[in-house]
Amino acid sequence: MKQSLIFRNAWLFVALIVLLAYPQFQKNQYYQHVMIMTMMAAVLSSSWNILGGYAGYTSLGHAAFFGLGGYLVALAHNRYGWHPFVSTWFLAIIVTGVALILGWISLRTQGSAFVVVTIAMVFIFRLLALNLSGITNGARGLTQPRPGWGDVPWSPEFIKVPFHYIMLVLLCLTVFVSWRIRQSKFGLGLIAIREDEGKAEAVGINTMLYKVLAFGFSAYFVGVAGGIYSYFFTYIDPQFIFDVFTGVTMVLIALLGGRGTLWGPVLGAFIMEPLGNWIIGEFGGTQIHLTVFGGILLGVMLFMPQGILPTITNVIQQRAKARAAQVQS
Amino acid sequence: MTMPSTHLLIQTIILGLLVGGVYALMSSGLTLIFGVMRVINVAHGAFLVLAAYLTYWIFQFTELDPIVSIVFTAPVLFLIGWGVQRYILSRLENPERSSVLVTFAFAITMEGLMGTFWKTTFRSVKPEYVNEVIKFATYRIPVTRLIGFGAALVVLLILYIILQRTNLGRAIRATIQDRSAAQLVGVNVQAVSALTFGIGIATAAVGGSLLSMIYPFNASSQTDWITRVLSIIVLGGMGSLPGAFIAAIILGVSEQLTAVVFRLYWSPIVFYVALFLILIFRPQGLMGETVREKA
Repeated sequence: MKQSLIFRNAWLFVALIVLLAYPQFQKNQYYQHVMIMTMMAAVLSSSWNILGGYAGYTSLGHAAFFGLGGYLVALAHNRYGWHPFVSTWFLAIIVTGVALILGWISLRTQGSAFVVVTIAMVFIFRLLALNLSGITNGARGLTQPRPGWGDVPWSPEFIKVPFHYIMLVLLCLTVFVSWRIRQSKFGLGLIAIREDEGKAEAVGINTMLYKVLAFGFSAYFVGVAGGIYSYFFTYIDPQFIFDVFTGVTMVLIALLGGRGTLWGPVLGAFIMEPLGNWIIGEFGGTQIHLTVFGGILLGVMLFMPQGILPTITNVIQQRAKARAAQVQS
Repeated sequence: MTMPSTHLLIQTIILGLLVGGVYALMSSGLTLIFGVMRVINVAHGAFLVLAAYLTYWIFQFTELDPIVSIVFTAPVLFLIGWGVQRYILSRLENPERSSVLVTFAFAITMEGLMGTFWKTTFRSVKPEYVNEVIKFATYRIPVTRLIGFGAALVVLLILYIILQRTNLGRAIRATIQDRSAAQLVGVNVQAVSALTFGIGIATAAVGGSLLSMIYPFNASSQTDWITRVLSIIVLGGMGSLPGAFIAAIILGVSEQLTAVVFRLYWSPIVFYVALFLILIFRPQGLMGETVREKA
């Protein structure tokens, strides 16, 4: 099935041009900020989708890898002066290694129990970050110098632009890898696991290996994003970066756009993230934000479990069918 | 790491046992719900905190003792739980897969609403006896914990009697053993599910009322509590009541011991370490069957 029915290649091209030109015509810092966060949300959710969408294992704990990436990058920057824009790509490999081990343990469970274990992951990392204060500086968190290149910090007007482009690169890479996985034998195996794990195993798929690998892939891009994020905000602390809500947002975005589709998470991100920013701007405080996100998640689960993209695709296909039938008669 | 004296050790174990009793009550509803419906109610922690807030509220207005206010909180939460299962969860197409996200959505919605309504200040209910201590030999036992433990045992006993001696209990146990077989012999599985959910949430209400005078809480404490009770039921074996009881006592004691032997702030890690160890070595939990979906 061609699921890119709506997003044909021309759309993709236009979207890319718009995103490339965005900081040139949008000089407002706030809107630049929202766009960076939106692209990051798309990265996180697309990455989550490799495990949660293709293989059907719902992780609510990907905030653990986000935070780990953030801490590794911040530490490497402060201690060894590694520039986050470079180091995050490599340090996320460590995050992936950790994810492979955690995946090997947690993927022994299925369904609900798996969800529970992944939530616990976030709390373990938060606790470690809080208490290993010799390394992480505990609850006081880590502060990085103001973003710049070499010894020259970027000017306040320019500062968002590099982040915009690195996030765009990461987004393209994530979607590209997600697309390659979907096209591959590996991706087919993951979908087989989602549909019926027992049967997938029976036809000779090494389900454990596939699942653990999917876990690793889906942790990598989240880790990279965490690294960039920690530099973007220049300050991280355990409560803030190891937040279960970050993981919930990834899931919500993927569910809203269309879980298991290539573009669903991206679409979801471009709806939810601006909405979230608007709510916080309008009402302030995170409590209303929490309520609204919970409510939307509930609504999606109950009334549109497939998500927007598959629902629209279905409608278009049915119309096309009806039209074909009309022409025939 | 410091090795405490024998006296401190025994004192700590006593406190751990008392806390463990309350944990057992809090997790009993969760494991019961899982047993009957194969649904993990991630909103259990939020219901605990909701009950704690209701108790706090009642106490603010009427100075009613937290134990007495159970008479109000338990029925209210029973009705909410019953309604949630009857009108929302029962409509899900694939409850085993989607219920976690749905109940999670409940949890964060409730957290948001409670946070909006009661703000983020930590609250706790302080009845007159809050600082009183009973001396037993040379050991000191805080009255609130003793009351909490006693109340938890009473409710667990009631729960046990309901399960063993009543028709509803038999229907619940039959549904736990084999859902479709129970339906075949005439059990109204839908009604049993809704009632079980109600009972499960009502035990959370009691747990929440006890919590309100033992621990300070705010809306976001629900994530703390849900991880604790979930770790307990995974450790005990999901769906097993005796398992949850034993696991609660073990974790209650180990948590207190960790606080004394290491540091207070390491004590929550006991739950997570237990969770991961049990998954590596005995994924079905202490007393449960394998945590796998039945084909």
